[in-house]
Amino acid sequence: MTKKLSTNILDKLSIDYLRNQVLKNAYGNLDTVIAKRDPRVLLIWYLFFGLVPWFVDDLYFLMACFVLVLVTTYLAKITALVLFVFAIGVFSQSGYLFIVSLFFGGDVNTLIPLLILTLKVSTCSLASITVFSGLDPDRLANGLMWFNFPERLSFSISYAYRMLPLLMSEFQNVLLSFRMRGKAPSSEGFKGKVQYLIYQVKMIMQSFYPLMLNVAKRSRTTVEALEIRGYRNAATSKEVRKLKLADLQFTYDDALFIALSILWITAILLIKR
Amino acid sequence: MENTQTQANQSQKLMIFVLSMALYGLATLFTELIPSFQVGIVELSVEFFLFIPLTLAMLFDPLSAALGAATGEVVFSEIMLGQFGGLGELEKFLTVTIGVYVAGRMVKDPRNMKQVAVAAITGTALQLAMGMIVDICKVEFAIEEFEAVAGLPESVYFTEGFAFLNDLLFSGILFCLLPTMFLVPRLYGKIEPLLGMEPRTEKTYLGDINFKTVIVLIVGFALALVSQMAAESGMTLIEWEFAWAESFESIIFGIFAAAVLAVVALLVLRRKQNKVSE
Repeated sequence: MTKKLSTNILDKLSIDYLRNQVLKNAYGNLDTVIAKRDPRVLLIWYLFFGLVPWFVDDLYFLMACFVLVLVTTYLAKITALVLFVFAIGVFSQSGYLFIVSLFFGGDVNTLIPLLILTLKVSTCSLASITVFSGLDPDRLANGLMWFNFPERLSFSISYAYRMLPLLMSEFQNVLLSFRMRGKAPSSEGFKGKVQYLIYQVKMIMQSFYPLMLNVAKRSRTTVEALEIRGYRNAATSKEVRKLKLADLQFTYDDALFIALSILWITAILLIKR
Repeated sequence: MENTQTQANQSQKLMIFVLSMALYGLATLFTELIPSFQVGIVELSVEFFLFIPLTLAMLFDPLSAALGAATGEVVFSEIMLGQFGGLGELEKFLTVTIGVYVAGRMVKDPRNMKQVAVAAITGTALQLAMGMIVDICKVEFAIEEFEAVAGLPESVYFTEGFAFLNDLLFSGILFCLLPTMFLVPRLYGKIEPLLGMEPRTEKTYLGDINFKTVIVLIVGFALALVSQMAAESGMTLIEWEFAWAESFESIIFGIFAAAVLAVVALLVLRRKQNKVSE
């Protein structure tokens, strides 16, 4: 039973699966309500819901924020993998802390502040999932650029989304060729399992040797291509920036998005009184 | 001629940045997705691919490699997966940068294994220790009356201290020290020509870590801490405003009324616009 379960999970975690999920997350849902919003509006929206819950201890306010980001996460059609990682992260953080605090004389009373902490953590991370996963990477990069974030950051985001599939398949190829040439130890019994794990980890470490050389070549090509097109000049030029940001538009729908968020939060605060 | 050898030029720095970003980003993306192994209570987190930027920082310009790695982590594993934690990421960014940079500066000659080993473990320990301090502060802020909750402060100190030692002894040695010692001598002299550079020797390295560097590093760490401490000052600011504004309720009601009006007005405007465009 456990064996079946573990192979099942390992199947899910193949590199192909990861690649598909990441790509789907980045480019798969460009027509959702969230993806169509102006990136500047979403970033400001995130600034509120990513920061304010940390400083407020009012349970109604926190619940209101949580429900709102839950709705926006649903609207953004986030892929299962990202939500799974989110759930694991939240649970492991608070659950672990709770179990350990039991050893030090904590009781159910410890649970309440921990629940508030969990609520805060999940609100902030769902807000970030909505904004950073829901938005098309190019629009996100443009939005960051508009707020005068360093040019390197926008460049890195655009570069990452385009290069990641390539890098992943290259890594996979190197791993596979290692596997073909080597003989894996049998994973029978506890000793065998440990040996197998060590073998796997060692293989991953070693495969970074050819990978580093390959990526070094690739990054040289990239930078040379960038230089030919005058990247370093474009990065500082005001006109280029203007041209790049020309397609950002603030629409009625964006204003509506903000107004509805404010309406929801203030309504909850009023009901409470 | 000598000038071009001693220091990487601008586009070479960009190459190092891109190289370090792509590799470390890819690696952290995997660790973010793969659940950590659990052997008893000892958590074997494979979250440690720090050997990649460490290796690169020892072979190339340390600052570019360090910044590239930190950016790669934020962009690939945080932003792409939507795990971006806002202000908290600044802390991670700075601690990774400082740890990797210090390790890179410590190595005079990458062929000297002792130097490489000491630098690798120092950089890792530095990064982990800074992360631990900041983490403790973070929990203290998030929970009001932290000290009053039974068993919580001790458990936080315990888990954080335990995680630090565990990470340093397990992940630090297994995933930082050994791979770095494996990779640096093998890549030395092979990877540099690919970026059109001379391998680092005693003559071409940046010089010992001096007083000025230490000051800059401390300021960087202080900044990382402050980005978390901003919590407290932000909190008192809000409280102060609440006390001052006695009619808090009426203000909320005002905002609520304004939001209702705005929604109605926007819906009307939107319908009008759609009619015109049809």
